[in-house]
This record gives sequence, C-alpha cells and structure tokens, in this order.
Amino acid sequence: MNSPLSPIDFEDKRLKIKFKLEKRLQKELQALTKDPPTGVKVDAESIYRNLSEWIVDIDGAPESLYEGEKFKLMFKFGSRYPFDSPQVMFIGENIPLHPHVYSNGHICLSILTDDWSPALSVQSVCLSVVSMLSSCKEKKRPPDNSFYVKTCSKNPKKTRWWYHGK
Amino acid sequence: MGNCFKTPNADDISLLRGSDSSESSDQPIGPPPPYQERQNRVPIYHPSPNVSRPANQLSEEEQIKIAKRLGLISHLPTGVYDGSSKKGKECAICMGEFTLGESLRFLPCMHTYHKDCIDDWLMRAFTCPSCMEPVDAALLSSYGT
Ligand SMILES: [Zn+2]
Ligand SMILES: [Zn+2]
Repeated sequence: MNSPLSPIDFEDKRLKIKFKLEKRLQKELQALTKDPPTGVKVDAESIYRNLSEWIVDIDGAPESLYEGEKFKLMFKFGSRYPFDSPQVMFIGENIPLHPHVYSNGHICLSILTDDWSPALSVQSVCLSVVSMLSSCKEKKRPPDNSFYVKTCSKNPKKTRWWYHGK
Repeated sequence: MGNCFKTPNADDISLLRGSDSSESSDQPIGPPPPYQERQNRVPIYHPSPNVSRPANQLSEEEQIKIAKRLGLISHLPTGVYDGSSKKGKECAICMGEFTLGESLRFLPCMHTYHKDCIDDWLMRAFTCPSCMEPVDAALLSSYGT
C-alpha cells in the first residue's frame, strides 16, 4: 500500500518549513534593525545566536502616561510560526501598569491569539503594544490581576482570554 | 485593538438571572470562569487559528468543516510565477520573494501567496492574512450568479 506521504517526503516537508521559518525570522530581524519604528529597539547580535527567542526594548511614547519609561518585551517563536502567533510578554523589572497587562507580564491583546494573522510580524506586534500603552487613560492593573496571576499558565498563549467587543 | 478579560457587570447579572430572581441578587455571581489550559497535542488539523487537534479528536462538525474547506481551497485559482505579476512579488506569509516557477495561489481579494504557504493558513482560518477578507464570502460573491 502506498502511504500518501513517505517518510522521506515528510522529512523534506519538515525541513522546508524549518528553513522558511528561519528565513522569515532573519528577514524580520534585518528589517527591524535597519528601520526600527520609533521607540522600538532590538539587540540583533544576541538574537542571531538564538532566533527563536527575541528581547525587544520598548520606550513609553512621548506625551503618553508611560513617557520616559523603558520596557522589555519577550517574543518566543514556536515551530509553527507564522501560522501560530508568537508568545509575547513583558519581562524584567518594569512591567507597565496598564489595564490589559498583568503583573506577571502577560498581555491581553487579541492579535496575540484569536486575531493573529501570518501577515503580522514582530514589528506590527510591537506597534500594537506601543499604541495600546499610548492610548491608556489610567495606569492600573486589570481587575482580576491577583486571581489571574495565581492561576494562569506560564505561557500566556495557553490562556483562553475573554475578549470583549468582538 | 486591546480587548481584555471582561468581568461581569450589573447588566450581565440581570440578563443572566432574568427578572424573577431579583431576591437572590445579593449572592455574588462567582468568580470568572477559570482560565482553561489549551491542550498540547500533536498538531494535525487546525479547525481554528491556534487550535491543533489530531483527526480522531475532531468533532463531526469540525470534520465536515475541514472537508468543506479542502473543497473550497481546491476551487481557488493557482498558477506559476512567471515574473509578470503586478500584484506584489513577495509572499506575506514567509516574506520570501516569488521566484520563477513557484506555485502560487490567488485569493479572490487579489492577494497572492505561495500555494504551500496559503494552503497551510487556509486550513486554520478562511481569511486572507493581509486584508482579513473572508475568503468564502468573496468566493460566493465572485462565483455566485
Ligand atoms: Zn510564502
Ligand atoms: Zn486579501
């Protein structure tokens, strides 16, 4: 009997996918290093060593509640990126005090789960995060912060977020 | 675009309880539903974005959805890149440039991708990654009547 996909084909497909993923991440990194949006900075050297985990520096936008503050966003890319969204969260000392950002760094942003599209990129996620911060009117934690932080998984993508306004 | 967890407010409570249970309104509505963990399993089918499930765990509804989707995908026009495409020369999914002889698929919204790239995505979500146009709605309007 002929199987639809022989082991060699399967391995070939897997390698092709891996190759495409690495090429895409390299392109994204090049673009972000060459032409970074305002307030977004990557340390390309550290990333080239491990393309699957990026740390991006984000500056609070001028004239926003976060002016002068510095944040660190961590991106983790799984083998199904860009079909699956990356894992994105704030890390480090300064987690922005924001109604959609939990004190453990998890961000409630629909493009990171339900509204993800493979045409989005590290750059567009960073821009969304910056604009989410910039549009904030009052610095505070989400109402369910303490409950969430106690019960959630380490991986924010494992949370079934309840988005409203959908 | 930042939408967040919704905590129940007074309106939700009155809707949930109806008008006949006003006496029990001093009871708390209870904590929000627990955050459920998505299960990590071998990804085989993707009935929705970010959802992967082996074939034997698909519901009947999902199986029908996948079969229908395979049928719909096969109706979308394909072609081979001959260097003459006016609609962009890059695939927004892998960010690679089209090279001569590569198989492409054309969506009704006129966005073009590598066939392999877009087919993989269409099995998860039937929308164009670039413009978010639902592909089936466009199919119906362009092929219907
Ligand atoms: Zn492609
Ligand atoms: Zn489109």
